[in-house]
Amino acid sequence: MRREEKTRRFLISLLVVVFVLGLTASYGCGKKETKVEKIKIALILPSTKDDMSWSQGMYEGVMDAQKELGVDNVEVNVTEQMPDPVNAGAAIRDYANKGFNIIIAHGSQYQNPVMEVAKDFPNVTFAYGTAFQTATNVFAYDPEAQDGAYIFGVLAAKLTKTKTVGIVGPVKTGDAIKYNYGFKQGVDSIDPSIKVLESYTGSFGDTIKAKEMATAQIEAGADILTGTAQQSVGAIQAVAEKPGVYWFSNDVDQSSLAPDHIIASQAYKWKDVVLYIVDNYKKGKLGGEVISLSLSNGRIEIVFNPKLKSTLITPEIEKLFNETLEKIKNGSIKVKLP
Amino acid sequence: MGNFFQTRVIVSIFSAGIRLATPYLLASIGEMLDQRSGVYNLGIEGIMLIGAFLSFYTSLKTGSLMLGILMAIIVGLLMGLLSAFINVTMKAEQGISGIGIYMFGFGLSGLLFRLTMGAIVTIDGFKSTPIPILSKMPYIGEIFFNQNWMVYLAFLLVPISYIVLFKTTFGLKIRSVGENPSAADSLGVSVEFVRYVCIIIGSVLAALAGAFLTIGQQKAIFVENISAGRGFIAIALVYFGRWQPTGVMIGSLLFSILDALQIRVQIANIGIPYEYAVMAPYIITIIVLVFVAQHRIGGPTALGKPFERCK
Repeated sequence: MRREEKTRRFLISLLVVVFVLGLTASYGCGKKETKVEKIKIALILPSTKDDMSWSQGMYEGVMDAQKELGVDNVEVNVTEQMPDPVNAGAAIRDYANKGFNIIIAHGSQYQNPVMEVAKDFPNVTFAYGTAFQTATNVFAYDPEAQDGAYIFGVLAAKLTKTKTVGIVGPVKTGDAIKYNYGFKQGVDSIDPSIKVLESYTGSFGDTIKAKEMATAQIEAGADILTGTAQQSVGAIQAVAEKPGVYWFSNDVDQSSLAPDHIIASQAYKWKDVVLYIVDNYKKGKLGGEVISLSLSNGRIEIVFNPKLKSTLITPEIEKLFNETLEKIKNGSIKVKLP
Repeated sequence: MGNFFQTRVIVSIFSAGIRLATPYLLASIGEMLDQRSGVYNLGIEGIMLIGAFLSFYTSLKTGSLMLGILMAIIVGLLMGLLSAFINVTMKAEQGISGIGIYMFGFGLSGLLFRLTMGAIVTIDGFKSTPIPILSKMPYIGEIFFNQNWMVYLAFLLVPISYIVLFKTTFGLKIRSVGENPSAADSLGVSVEFVRYVCIIIGSVLAALAGAFLTIGQQKAIFVENISAGRGFIAIALVYFGRWQPTGVMIGSLLFSILDALQIRVQIANIGIPYEYAVMAPYIITIIVLVFVAQHRIGGPTALGKPFERCK
């Protein structure tokens, strides 16, 4: 009996020691793990990562940010072709459940699912845009698309020979509408008598329809065209068929698509936005801010196509470009938005 | 407004309408043959996408647009064989298998694009080939005879399919197989063979419709999902056209000309909100369909029913 009692006590104390040791050990391990833990970024795209516009811009931004932070420190997962916010909502929740730290839903249409899921995962950072509504763990981002568009409007007004320019729009919403406002005001600032043709396909991705729309605008006399969204690669084909007709691009540098027709592109530097979000996440700030992309904060840049810059952009126009850019940056020109 | 009805604008509306009608017409004439034989193929959107990609990629790699067309024909043939095997030999539920074929084509074209190209590239497609003398006619020449050969082909298929369907023995077989396969079978017509042929021709035409969206354009690109639902509209146009070649052509033209018109109405900026303009072709087509449906001609009686020989 006595011996049995002794062994039992011994076993119990041994258990306690092991338990305590185990606790401290796992505590130590846990602490160590959080230090070297990878940051996991999930990206949800409305179209494809190689659409030469909106989605590709952000995809490259995330990949560049990963390169800069070290491939071993950041894991990236991408879900493409999610135009429907309901499906996207399921993907967002799935990523949050799998322990992703930062989830970027790249579109204004994702506002509701992002806000909903964000409530259930207070330790995860969410980001989406173009948008303004934030929460403690939700960043919104907002490219000031109208500023570059204003400058393009100024250039278009200087370059048009037919006194007619055109805008091939997708759907009258978000980014596209701001861009179009900027372009129109830029044209007006030079010569209000210039006709601005404006029409919308009602879709973001129907390249064939965008092409037809651009063709119709060219037939109606437009010789400088512009437009936004994935479908713009279709409109560029219509421009490329007509010598002497030119295009101003948005989202990414698209000049490879029509080197003889694309004068300049307004390119968003998404990498900086992603790095900013990661940096804040590390500091423990998970959201609550609208991240602006603009020419003045350097997150948007205007890239000229070198092939056309030398032939089309005279020193006089270049001077005007630099002046307008400066005025936009210092705020003395402000595009009025609806 | 007065400006808008210039002859120049009207000519461009009709010329664009004919151009836009081409992919619908190619795909829906093929689908009409399918359905006449009693099988509907909801997968043509997917076949269009594969045809669009492979014809583009072949042209890009070989530098020959005709090889691109040949590739579209081959892939149409293979996809047709697959669809026919599923629907005719395996007697699958045609609605479900069609959606399967669509998803397969949608996914495969995107995947192949990724694996082989991975970026949007531009090549030169078919230029318009004006028909001598005819293209010089005022207005008419510009509208009808200054297009590329794929447009002419699509419109030539209307009389050709009419003659095949209504003036040849094979056409009679197609129609009887679609109306009463048991009777046709008892007279020694191979229901399976006729349906295989029709589905394969339909798929080849769908693949060519896809090729028109890429290399059928003067400047050609491929982007994922380039057909953007045109295959499904082509199926709707078969119903609109009451399974008649001329009906299908009228439907394609009506829809496309209205689309070309609404684009120009928007550009003319006469104060109609763009949402209404974008909707107009669909709404007007539905309204016309309602009136056409008054004197109803039903579809092929055996449409959608797999054929089982009575034992």
